[in-house]
Amino acid sequence: MPPSIHPVDLIAALREKSLTPAIVFLTSRRACDEAMEAFDHAHTVLPPVRQGAIAAALERVIAQYPSIAEHPLIPTVQRIGVAAHHAGHLPSWKIAIEELMRQGCLDAVFATTTLAAGVDFPARTVVITQSSIRKARDFMDLTIGEVQQIAGRAGRRGKDYVGFAVVTPSPYIDLDVLTKGFTGNPEAIDSQFTISYPMVLNLLKAHPHEQIQAILAKSFAQFQLNQRANVLEGKLDVLHTQMEPFGPRVCTDWITQWHTFDQARRQKPHRHQIARHESPEVTARFHFMTPGRVVGLNKGRGIVLRQYRSKGQKSPMVTVLRAGGAVTESPAGIVTDVFDRLFECTEQQGYPWCAPESFDELLYQLTELPTRLPLLPILVSKESDLIPDAIVQSLGDFPCPTCSSRPACQKDYLMASRLRQEQQRHIKSIQALRTSLWHRFQERIEVLQTFGYLSPTSHLTDDGEWARLIRIDHSLLITELIRAEAFAGADPAVLTGVMASIAHDDDRPGAFPRVSTGLSSLLGQVRKLAESLSPYEDPPLLRADIAAVAERWVSDPSLTWIGLCRSTTMAEGDIYRLLARTLEFLSQLHTLRSTHPGLADSASQAIALIRRGVLEELP
Amino acid sequence: MTSNELEQLLAQQPIAVLHKLARGRVHRHFRAGKRRLIELLLQHSSQNLAGLESDLHALMSERPTQPQIAPTPARQTVPRHTAPPPNRRPHRAHEPESTEPGVSLAAWLEGLGVPSPQPFVPDPWQEEALAGLAETDVVVSVPTGSGKTYVAVEAARRAMDENRTVIYTSPLKALSNTKFTEFSKIFGSDRVGILTGDRQDNSQAPILIMTTEILRNLLYDAASGEIDVRLDTLGLVILDESQYLADPERGVVWEETIIFCPSQAKLLLLSASIGNPQDIADWLTSIRPSPCRLVRHSKRTVPLRAGFLHPNGKLTPLFRTAGIPYGHPGQLHPEAKRLFLQYEEDTLPSGRPRR
Repeated sequence: MPPSIHPVDLIAALREKSLTPAIVFLTSRRACDEAMEAFDHAHTVLPPVRQGAIAAALERVIAQYPSIAEHPLIPTVQRIGVAAHHAGHLPSWKIAIEELMRQGCLDAVFATTTLAAGVDFPARTVVITQSSIRKARDFMDLTIGEVQQIAGRAGRRGKDYVGFAVVTPSPYIDLDVLTKGFTGNPEAIDSQFTISYPMVLNLLKAHPHEQIQAILAKSFAQFQLNQRANVLEGKLDVLHTQMEPFGPRVCTDWITQWHTFDQARRQKPHRHQIARHESPEVTARFHFMTPGRVVGLNKGRGIVLRQYRSKGQKSPMVTVLRAGGAVTESPAGIVTDVFDRLFECTEQQGYPWCAPESFDELLYQLTELPTRLPLLPILVSKESDLIPDAIVQSLGDFPCPTCSSRPACQKDYLMASRLRQEQQRHIKSIQALRTSLWHRFQERIEVLQTFGYLSPTSHLTDDGEWARLIRIDHSLLITELIRAEAFAGADPAVLTGVMASIAHDDDRPGAFPRVSTGLSSLLGQVRKLAESLSPYEDPPLLRADIAAVAERWVSDPSLTWIGLCRSTTMAEGDIYRLLARTLEFLSQLHTLRSTHPGLADSASQAIALIRRGVLEELP
Repeated sequence: MTSNELEQLLAQQPIAVLHKLARGRVHRHFRAGKRRLIELLLQHSSQNLAGLESDLHALMSERPTQPQIAPTPARQTVPRHTAPPPNRRPHRAHEPESTEPGVSLAAWLEGLGVPSPQPFVPDPWQEEALAGLAETDVVVSVPTGSGKTYVAVEAARRAMDENRTVIYTSPLKALSNTKFTEFSKIFGSDRVGILTGDRQDNSQAPILIMTTEILRNLLYDAASGEIDVRLDTLGLVILDESQYLADPERGVVWEETIIFCPSQAKLLLLSASIGNPQDIADWLTSIRPSPCRLVRHSKRTVPLRAGFLHPNGKLTPLFRTAGIPYGHPGQLHPEAKRLFLQYEEDTLPSGRPRR
């Protein structure tokens, strides 16, 4: 079982049911080219009359665009009546195919889905073979809008009663995506407003700084942000009514008041627990029960060997040596008296908590103690006894415990604080939605000020005056290059090469001609600058191999289009687009003729050199 | 009975019988479709086909009322309400499966052919758009291929009759070129000009075709004080494919163009079907001098039919109905469903349907 239908069989099946002419959307350019190759040995050829019609129609197009006269696909197109149409082809070839389709000469065109929008010709049938397309190096499911865009090519007004969209599976097709696409409503579109440096310069050239916010407010982006803000404001209103029963009570801001009270109350118990188990006398005495201290117990006397706090409750404990040599562990509370007598005691980790010789000495001293010993005068603070509940002391600042609305506050606090948090969150996001564009604009202004395109008062400097004319991608890099005089003395070919490498944003690999040393050293500088600008602007790919293609076309006027195409594996449609885009970039440089005559001159020479052969056929 | 005969016999049984048979024989049989279930049954009972056969006969004799079923899946398409089997489990409510017959291929293909040439009559929406444009800005959101170009051409003609300049923009250079050729044929090549970044052909013509970026640049130049007569006499700006407003890289250009479009010029936004054209119209109303008119419709001029072509060459309608069942993506034609499941089974390495 083949994973997908063979192109020859597909066309045969469509012809059999008279579903031609058809546009067959395939995954890749390569699939389109392979489909065309499949017809090389096909036996079903068109009747001579139709072959003649195609030849005649093609001749008329070729008269206008001679570049396609030698196109390798022409024999297959004439013989079979099928063609390929994708971004790898020259625009003139695509125009020829579109013309043939319009005249009804062809039975099928193989096209890529990527360019569904660029395929501006209808057919009776479209054939869909996949449910996802490549977007930025990743396959994404077709959106409903895209499926309908594709299906929209089916059915020619005035030529068909009905149009057909035929799904034929290839591996990894997801039928759900397509059926949803056919039957669903297209997605809503969202603004993709970005603030670019040339936009800032041009706006500030035409309008004073104070008016900019009003202009930004006119964007669809702000319109949609406002919509979102309005939704939030609606929610805010609802919250407001929900908050009504929680309005001012005894204190105006009772939620905050209760919140702090509650926090304080929650923190208290931990500190308090220790205090509760310990009487103030013990606390006071405990500091003096150091190793070697003679203490009085309710039966006899002893010498403290160590003091510590118990593991769990942290209650004060002492290890005491008693008469007769007993070593006991007891709470500090059993000590009745602390005497003013201290012996030397060498401490030791572990039982018996002092060095053996010191132990014997202490034991001897204990028996030798006089009957009356002076007591250590210890000051016991009676203050803490007077206020047994520490809560009341620290919470005394709060009116809450005695407030009349305390039960109500306690009951409503959770709900009210949740509502209020939500309210504050919404207010913050509304603020952000209303002002985000303006903030982004101001960030851009700051960057332009540091680079000196704008004065501190946000007026255009001399550099800003000409820089605003560069209104393309990577404008900051290009204007910085001009200011660094990187192009001074660069010949048109090198200039073209650099512009091509800035303009090209495709990382499709391939084989390319060698780059000249002059261009490669200049590109090195450009790369360095682009890297240093990367915090302010995404650097372009700056491919040297791409630059070489454009450089070659300009530096060698005798080079033919076919010669250029042979020097690289790039598809000719891609080369064409590269040069066309380079032309656009160069023509922007050309607008700087009043301030940078040398550069503008070089650019216009480059433009003249690029525009030859194929590049001259279309405006 | 050979295994082939047995397979045929199994294929004639309703799926419920197969599941009963599979109980105890096949692990997780409830997951499998009918075809796969038969395969599994045969595979698991390959040592004891006789046992499977006798069980099958026992089950068949339990249901004597069940008429002999034709092996074609068309059987499933008999409308349920005409003869619902008495003791069958009710169908799941969410899926209108097997409730209606799928349309036949012949019926689906019906209507194929070329209509006789008719005098061109503008659709009501086209008239509405043109009438609206006489007063104010218009946003048009209609399906691809509905005839937006007619509106553009007529609007341009009317503006030119009032000695106004018309600017037509498209997102792609290729589309600009196509439109340039098309408009030149309609209005005469001396009245149509095209502007690209580096070339200007007939740049003082009453109709100018350009990419949206070029128009944006013109507007910026005019805003910063450069005098451009073409903008003073500008009567109409047509932005084709304005769904590009949502393009991640270039969408901003459409916004800039619309914001800075001179207020004396009317705006005509032509777009494919999008989900929120009302938003676009509301936006224009909020920033332009007069309230914007929205013209939208979702009905295609030429009705669409969707089909499914299996790689083996078998063609079938994709949906139960001949037309597209809008809003009901689940209404697949049983035959298309079967063919697709078969395709997935045949091509996926594990041999299991993905879902």
